[in-house]
Amino acid sequence: MAGVSFNKTYLSRLVGKSIDFDKIAQQATKMGVEFEGADSTEMRFQITANRPDLLDIVGFARALKNFMHKSKKFSYKMKSSAPYLEINVGKDVSGIRPFISGIVAKNIDFDDQSLKHLLNFSEKFSDIFGRHREKLAIGMHNLDKIGTVLKYDAFPDQEFVALGEKKSMLFSKVLETNKKGIEYGDIITCHKTQNCYPALKDLDGVLALIPVVNSERTKISTSTHNMFIDMTGTSKYVVDKAADMFAATLMDMGAYIYPVKVNYGKKSNVFPIMEERSISIPLGQIDEVLGVSVGFNNALSLAEKMGYACSYLNKKIVFKIPSYRLDILTDQDIIEDMAIAYGYEYIANMPIYSTQTGMLEERTEKNRKLSAIMTGLGFGEMMNSYLTSENENFNKMRVAANQSKYIKLKNSKTGSITMMRTWILPSLLKNFSLSVHEKMPQKIFEADVVFALANKMPSEKYHLSAAMADPKANFNDIKSVLESVLNEIPGEYTFRAAAHESFIEGRVADIVVGKATVGFVGELHPEVLSNFGIEEPCFGFEIII
Amino acid sequence: MHEYEAAVLKALKSTKHASIDEIVEDTHLGRDAVLWAIDNLAKEGMLDIIREEKEQAALTDEGKAYAKSGLPEEGLIQKLANAGQIYIKDLDPTQRSIGLQWAKAKGFIEIGGGSIKLTQAGEKALGKETVEHAVLEGIARGDVQHLQKQHADIVLELIKRKLVTIKRNNAITQVKITSKGHAQDIFDVRKDEIDRITKKIIVNREWEGKEFKRYDVRVDVEEAHAAKSHPLRDTINQIKDAYAKMGFREVSGPIVESSFWVQDALMIPQDHPARDAQDTFYIEDPQNIDISDNMLLNKVAKEHERAWNSEWKEELAQKAMLRSHSTSVTARFLYSLKDIASYELPIKIFSVGRVFRNESLDYRHLADFYQGDGMIIGEHLTLANLFDTLTTFYSLLGMRTRFMPTYFPFVEPGVEIQAFYSKRNEWLEMGGAGVLRHEIINAAGKRFSVLAWGCGIERIVLMKNPHIKSVTELYNNGIGWMRKR
Repeated sequence: MAGVSFNKTYLSRLVGKSIDFDKIAQQATKMGVEFEGADSTEMRFQITANRPDLLDIVGFARALKNFMHKSKKFSYKMKSSAPYLEINVGKDVSGIRPFISGIVAKNIDFDDQSLKHLLNFSEKFSDIFGRHREKLAIGMHNLDKIGTVLKYDAFPDQEFVALGEKKSMLFSKVLETNKKGIEYGDIITCHKTQNCYPALKDLDGVLALIPVVNSERTKISTSTHNMFIDMTGTSKYVVDKAADMFAATLMDMGAYIYPVKVNYGKKSNVFPIMEERSISIPLGQIDEVLGVSVGFNNALSLAEKMGYACSYLNKKIVFKIPSYRLDILTDQDIIEDMAIAYGYEYIANMPIYSTQTGMLEERTEKNRKLSAIMTGLGFGEMMNSYLTSENENFNKMRVAANQSKYIKLKNSKTGSITMMRTWILPSLLKNFSLSVHEKMPQKIFEADVVFALANKMPSEKYHLSAAMADPKANFNDIKSVLESVLNEIPGEYTFRAAAHESFIEGRVADIVVGKATVGFVGELHPEVLSNFGIEEPCFGFEIII
Repeated sequence: MHEYEAAVLKALKSTKHASIDEIVEDTHLGRDAVLWAIDNLAKEGMLDIIREEKEQAALTDEGKAYAKSGLPEEGLIQKLANAGQIYIKDLDPTQRSIGLQWAKAKGFIEIGGGSIKLTQAGEKALGKETVEHAVLEGIARGDVQHLQKQHADIVLELIKRKLVTIKRNNAITQVKITSKGHAQDIFDVRKDEIDRITKKIIVNREWEGKEFKRYDVRVDVEEAHAAKSHPLRDTINQIKDAYAKMGFREVSGPIVESSFWVQDALMIPQDHPARDAQDTFYIEDPQNIDISDNMLLNKVAKEHERAWNSEWKEELAQKAMLRSHSTSVTARFLYSLKDIASYELPIKIFSVGRVFRNESLDYRHLADFYQGDGMIIGEHLTLANLFDTLTTFYSLLGMRTRFMPTYFPFVEPGVEIQAFYSKRNEWLEMGGAGVLRHEIINAAGKRFSVLAWGCGIERIVLMKNPHIKSVTELYNNGIGWMRKR
C-alpha cells in the first residue's frame, strides 16, 4: 500500500465538477482504493501495489470516470509514428542497468498543480514500484534544451551541473555531496571497481547521471511545453510499461506523444509500445469465480467500468487490456476486476456443502487441559513474547549461553530482542519484576513454545512453566503444585537432586522420566531475583509437555 | 458500638484531640479501620473532623505513560542515535507532534531539509534520564511533597505539558472529641462472646448458651483474586472452537521458517518490499533452511518467472526467517497433499499462531502477535462461498462483517474483511481473503479452487473486551491487570 494525496481542485477538474468529494471517496472504496481522509485542500487514498496507474491523479481520475460510466476512454493513439528522438545504447551499460525507454510529449500546458502531481507520480512510481529507483527510475527533461540523438552508456567520471546545483561537479562528487546522490548513489556500484557511471548524454553533455539526478540544463518547470521522459531500469517489462503509462497520462493531460527509438547496436525498439493485448475468457469462467450469474450484457458493461474495450468471439469475451495497466497478466486479473465492477456487496453468500466434522490438534487439547489444572491451582495465565535477549534469557538467570544451541536473530531493530527464548521461566520472572507492588502471593504460569538449535536446525518445543512469588512458601509448595500437574500427564516421574545456576544449591531437582530429564523445579537464587528486581522469594518449575 | 469505634473514642477521651497517625499509634488499629471508625463517630456527632485543603501534584494518563516508557523526546533521540538521521515523515505521530518539539526546545536535535540529526547536547543526553522523566517517576512513586519543593520549576513545566495536574484534596488534620462523645459510655467487648469458631466448639457443642460476637458485615474486606486464563488465550480458544464447529481441522507449522514457505510458495515476488530486512526478522543462525524438493523449487521458479517477469533466485527462498504471516502453514498443507482425488472434498483447515514483524519496540508497537488462517480446497469454490464462510465464522464470534476489494499477491480476487465496531461506530479492517492464485495451485500440482484468508487476532480481542485499551496491555501481562480483568 502507498499513500497518495490529491489536490481537490485539480481532482475535481479532472473527474468533472458534477461529482462531489463524498461520491469520489465512496466510488474509490468500491474500486478497491482505500479512502483515508480529506482536509480543505487534499484527499488522501491508499493505493494497492498492483495498481501503480492509480498513484497518478490523472490515472486515478481516468479509472474513476470509467468506473462511474462517465467516460469510455479505452485506448490511446500517438500523434505520429515517426520517431522524434533516438537513443543509442552503448555496450558498457548492459551489465549495469541495461534497459531504457522513453517518450516525447509536446504541447503541454502545466500549471502548479498539474506539474506537481506529475512529479509526485514519477517519484512515487519509481520509489514503490521501481523499488526505490533500482528496478525503475524516471527522468523528465525539457525537450527544447536537448538534442535529438542521445547516448545511454556507462561513462568515465566527468563533470556536469546536477539539478539544483550552481556549479559543475564530477559524478563522483555528486554521489558524495548532492542530496539525491547520497540517497540513490548506492544503486550504482560499478564506479567502485572501475571508472564508469551510467549516464544519458547528448552532444552538449550530460542529461542525467542515471538513476540518480538530472542536469540543471534540462530541468522542467511550469513554462515547459515540450518534454522528453526517460525510463531506465533492470526489468525490461517495467521499463517498457512505464513508457506506456506516462504516454497515457500525458495524452489525458492534452499532450501530443511522439515515439522514441532506442538502438541496441543494429537492433532497435520504438517506445511507447502501447500494444493492446487481448485476453479471452468464457463468461462461465467469470461466473464460476464470483459465484453469481453475471449475464452477457452485464459483463460487457462491467468490463467497460474497469476500462476494458470488449468484443465477443467464439463464445468468449475478448478483453482488450489498456496499455497503462501493467498488472494484468492472466485471466484471473481480469476476473478480479470483474468482481470489483460487479460489487462485492451484491454477491450473495452461498454456503459450501460439506459433512465433515471439525477437529482440534492434540496439542491444543493438551494445552487446554494443563491450563485448566494450573488455573485451578490458583496460577494465572501469562502470554509472553517469544523474542528475548541473551541478557534476559541467560545472564539474568546466571546461566551461560551455549552459542550453538539457540536461535539468533540477524537484524533486529530493537536491542532488547536478539534471540528466540529457550525457556519460559525468565519471561515469568520478568512478569513478576513488573508487578512487584502487587499483593503477594503471586502465582503465574505459561504453556507455550520455546526454541532451540538441534543439529544446526531450528527446533520448536512446548513447555509448561510456573512461578510463585510468596514470602510464606518454600520449595515443597512448588513441588506439590508440580506433582499435582504430573499426576495428570501420563508417565512415571521421579526427582533427582540437580545443579542449576538459576536456583539455590540443594533446593533444585531435575524431573526425570525413565532416563531422560524433562524439566526442573526449585527455589530461585537470590541473585537471579535481584537481577530481575524481585524482592520476595520465588519458586518455579519448567517441564517439556 | 463497634470495637473499633470504642477504641478510637477511648483514645480521644484522654487526649481530647489527635491526628489520624496518633490515633493509629494509640489504638494499634489499621489506618483503614481508624478512618472508618472516625467517619461513623462523626456521623453520630461524637467527634468533629478538622480538614485542611492541600494541593498535591498527580500524573495525568499521558504522564503515567511517559513515567513508564520515557518521554517522547528521549525515545526520539534514542531512535536517532540508532539511525543517525531520520526523515520527519518517517516518525510516528507522537514523536512527530510531541517528541520533535521538545527535543528541539531542549537543543537535542537540529532540523534541516525535512530530516533531523542529533546535536552535541543530544549526544550527551543519550542514555541519561532527563530530569522531567525522573520527576514523573517520583510522582508516580508518591514522592510528591519533596519533589514539589525541590523541583518546583520542573513540576510547573510538566503541568504546562499536561503531564501533571494539581489535585486538591481535603486532608484530615485533626480529630476533636465533642461533649456528646465525652458523655458516651464505652463498654468493653464482652469476653464471653464467641469469636472464631473452632472444631472443639463444634464437636463439644460449647457454643450452647453463649452469644456469638457480632461482626460489622458492611466493612470493606480484602480483595480475593481468581486465577484466570489470559484474555488473548480466551479469544484464541473461541476462534478455534468456531472453526471446529464449522467443520475445519486444525493444522500447525514451523515458526522459524524458510522464506520459501512464507513468501515464494505464496507468489510474493522476490523484490517485494515485505521481504526487506526492514520488516522481517531474518535468522543469524541458521542462516538458511534448505528446501530439498527440487521439483517443487522448479515449479515455483517457473510460476514466479512467468508471473513477475523477473529472475527467481533459490538462495533468497532458503533464507531462514521468523514467519511474517501464518499463511505459510496453510501453504505447506496445500503443497503436501499428495493424491488429492483420495480426499473427500472440500478440505477445510485452519491454523492460529504467532507471527513476527521487525518493529522498533515502544508502547504502541509489538514485534510478535497472533494470526489466524483458514483454507478451503475444493471444486468450483466461489467468492460467494468465501463470503458465506467468513460471515458465519465472524458471526460465531459475535461480529458483523462486510467485504471490500483489495490486493494481496497470493489471491485474486482479493478481499478485505471488515467488521463493525459498535463502540466506535465504524468498520475496522480484520484481515485479508481471496481466491488463491492459479500460479500457486499450479506450482502445488493441483487443479482445484482454493479459498484462503488470514486475520489478526489481537484486534478481535480488543473488540470483544472494550475495557482493554491497547494491544500492548495484552502482552504486558501485569499481574494486577490480570487479577482485575
